[in-house]
Amino acid sequence: MIAVDIVKRFPGFTLDVRWGAADLVTGLFGPSGAGKTLTLDCLAGLVRPDRGRIVVGGRVLFDAETGIDVPPRARRLGYVFQGYALFPHLTTAENIAFGLHGRPRVERARRTSEVVARLGLGGLERRRPHELSGGQRQRVALGRALAIEPALVLLDEPLSALDAPLRRTLREDLARVLGDWGTAAVVVTHDFTEAYRLADQIVVYDAGRVVQAAPRDELLWQPASESVATIMGIRNVLRGTVVKATADRIQLHWRGQTLEAVNSPTRAYLPPADSPIAFFIRPEYVRLIRKDRGPADPQHHMNLMSGAIVGEEDFGTTWSLRIRLDEPGPPAQGGHDLEVEVPHLVYEILEIARDRRWEFSIHRGSIHVLPA
Amino acid sequence: MPDLFPVWLSIRVSLAATALTLVLGVPVAWVLARRRFPGRDFLASLVVTPLVLPPTVLGYYLLLVIGSRGPVGRLVERLGVPLAFTWRAAVLAACLGSIPLLIKAAQAGFESVDPRLERAARTLGRSEWSIFWSVTLPLAWRSVLAGTILAFCRAFGDFGITLMVAGSIPGLTQTLPLAIYDHVQANQMGEANALAALAVATVVALLIGFGRLGRLRY
Repeated sequence: MIAVDIVKRFPGFTLDVRWGAADLVTGLFGPSGAGKTLTLDCLAGLVRPDRGRIVVGGRVLFDAETGIDVPPRARRLGYVFQGYALFPHLTTAENIAFGLHGRPRVERARRTSEVVARLGLGGLERRRPHELSGGQRQRVALGRALAIEPALVLLDEPLSALDAPLRRTLREDLARVLGDWGTAAVVVTHDFTEAYRLADQIVVYDAGRVVQAAPRDELLWQPASESVATIMGIRNVLRGTVVKATADRIQLHWRGQTLEAVNSPTRAYLPPADSPIAFFIRPEYVRLIRKDRGPADPQHHMNLMSGAIVGEEDFGTTWSLRIRLDEPGPPAQGGHDLEVEVPHLVYEILEIARDRRWEFSIHRGSIHVLPA
Repeated sequence: MPDLFPVWLSIRVSLAATALTLVLGVPVAWVLARRRFPGRDFLASLVVTPLVLPPTVLGYYLLLVIGSRGPVGRLVERLGVPLAFTWRAAVLAACLGSIPLLIKAAQAGFESVDPRLERAARTLGRSEWSIFWSVTLPLAWRSVLAGTILAFCRAFGDFGITLMVAGSIPGLTQTLPLAIYDHVQANQMGEANALAALAVATVVALLIGFGRLGRLRY
């Protein structure tokens, strides 16, 4: 169990966060400068909070009230720094054994070779960091942190130093090691995919505060607010007005359409009629109606609307289409109302390159309301 | 053939001064590189003053401190170890003149060590003392060595400060630069030539030795 409740003031920035986590992998996600790394530094004891309390696995590491402030060397938390911070003058084996200083020589050697073997670093024991690849360095950094049998591993942007193809491989590698080792971990990242892939629970940071803490799937489908959705980089975050809200359905008005959405299953949100409401529609969940199967039937096609493609971008495996609805008035997102994503195959079969006018349908379960 | 005593004395004095400079200068350099405290800027300026003040001024102040009426001088005299006008004073003089060179070089070396490495060592259970010996110094030792060589050269060549506090007593405190000066004054050009050549040879030999050290891999 991890419980963090801290305040740290700087000129022009205040970190004021409170969150708790089970002994799993917790992701701290948010834009740069939101205070994620600062939180790790406070956990590790490298920065002293002004107020608050930090408890890891039942052990109080910091408590401003009682004056407890365990020094970093006694906290037994493994810290994997951004860029890894491996000791350049030491070999792989010496880096891994660094935290075992003071233990009997035999135990140190046994523990080091165990870590080397478990992380697949065999044969690299005598290499120095500059003789290792990015992926090997990451594993040495992990090994160095795990060798001390930490109560918790802290990882600061573990993949940011790598280029895109390697990033993906190492993300899976890291997910496997964390799962395999079973040590509780806190991973800082500004990339939502990374947070989602590595963490069981995600804490969303913004400007020194926690804006949401939730299991990863809950966060994916139910961001707590419009600002959380924006931080997550969700597209088609839109604003309409409420027509009618019940425990399981919300009707809303947007760009001349009356849309029907499913209410949040975990927190029924009942805004009064005519109040503003934010919602989002994932671009890959907007359906294009095929013209070769007869006219669209409002009975079968929920939330039916029509419009024209006013722009498109090729992302290699998918096309992103910008749609402007056939409604008077300014479009909802600058030049367009909706972004729609279709796989290349669909783009070719439907001959979208030629045909620019379409009807669209969105299932009510794919319109996600964002509580104010 | 000139008396070779000044050569041996100079080597002994400058080696002793270099050792003292290391012991005193390395901690100061580390503090300047790694700690923020009130008075840090003052300390940083103070340590370079020996580079800019005339040697006679430095020697004068040093003499006030270690002379028989000075605070340190009185204390050590009571212990039966006179300082002023002994070879010990020559060591202090050489140390005072050379310590800024070591401090500046070592400070730059310590500052070039990524502080994240020291933070990492802290989370891995090491004390500050252990971190200095296992991380900071192994990564900065080349700068420390370069500073040590400069300090040694400066110590070997000191004239003004040594003259002020140790005098130029032949067979006692007359170091090589002072002996050369005396020979020239006495128009003994042969002796002056021989000592000057010895000075050059000694320094070159020692520098080559130090240079070998610097090529070692850590």
